[in-house]
Amino acid sequence: MTVEYLVYFIPFYIVGLVLYIVRALKGPTLPDMVLAIDCMGYVLAALLVIFSLYLGSPLIIACAIVLTLWIYALDVYMSKYLEKKELGE
Amino acid sequence: MNLLNPVLTIIGYVLVGIGAFCQVVAGIGMNRFPNFFVRLHAATICAIGGSFVPIIGCSLIALSIEEFGVIRFFLAGAGFVTAVFLLILAPVGSHLLAKAAYFSKAAVLYPKAVDLLEEDVERGEIRE
Repeated sequence: MTVEYLVYFIPFYIVGLVLYIVRALKGPTLPDMVLAIDCMGYVLAALLVIFSLYLGSPLIIACAIVLTLWIYALDVYMSKYLEKKELGE
Repeated sequence: MNLLNPVLTIIGYVLVGIGAFCQVVAGIGMNRFPNFFVRLHAATICAIGGSFVPIIGCSLIALSIEEFGVIRFFLAGAGFVTAVFLLILAPVGSHLLAKAAYFSKAAVLYPKAVDLLEEDVERGEIRE
């Protein structure tokens, strides 16, 4: 059928994104901030897929894959830093 | 095949709607939960309910739109790949973070009823 109705779901993702930004700025401890940045990344990955579907361009969705992998790399490096105080380069 | 398209589109829209609801709930949960370890639950709702489900929904919608022609298979394939990566990596990442936050004491476990892991560590069953 059509793709236009996807637009009505996007504000809810933006609301979620704003709430994660609030938690990322407010987060008392370091892991809270990292967790909020994780969630921001996942919301942005979902938004990227929705926008690439809405605009019909296959270029935008390619970087949703990379974004998901980068979020995982952030988790790995942050937990390595928290436990061993070094990043292992 | 053209009988299946409306069904795929409807299912896709329902999944994207579920994802939208989960994102708002996870956002509220992320700000209202007391400490880091309870917020992990909100992060899981965001990762799986709020991102994996709508990406699968978008892939189904992409499959069902004839106007795109060949591009729809690319969109659907990339969507499914993203969904599989997210499904595998999100729990592993948050588990890593939780372990690091607990053992490095970076996250304070404030409203604590009982901490069985602490007792195990004292009993020496778990080396840090």
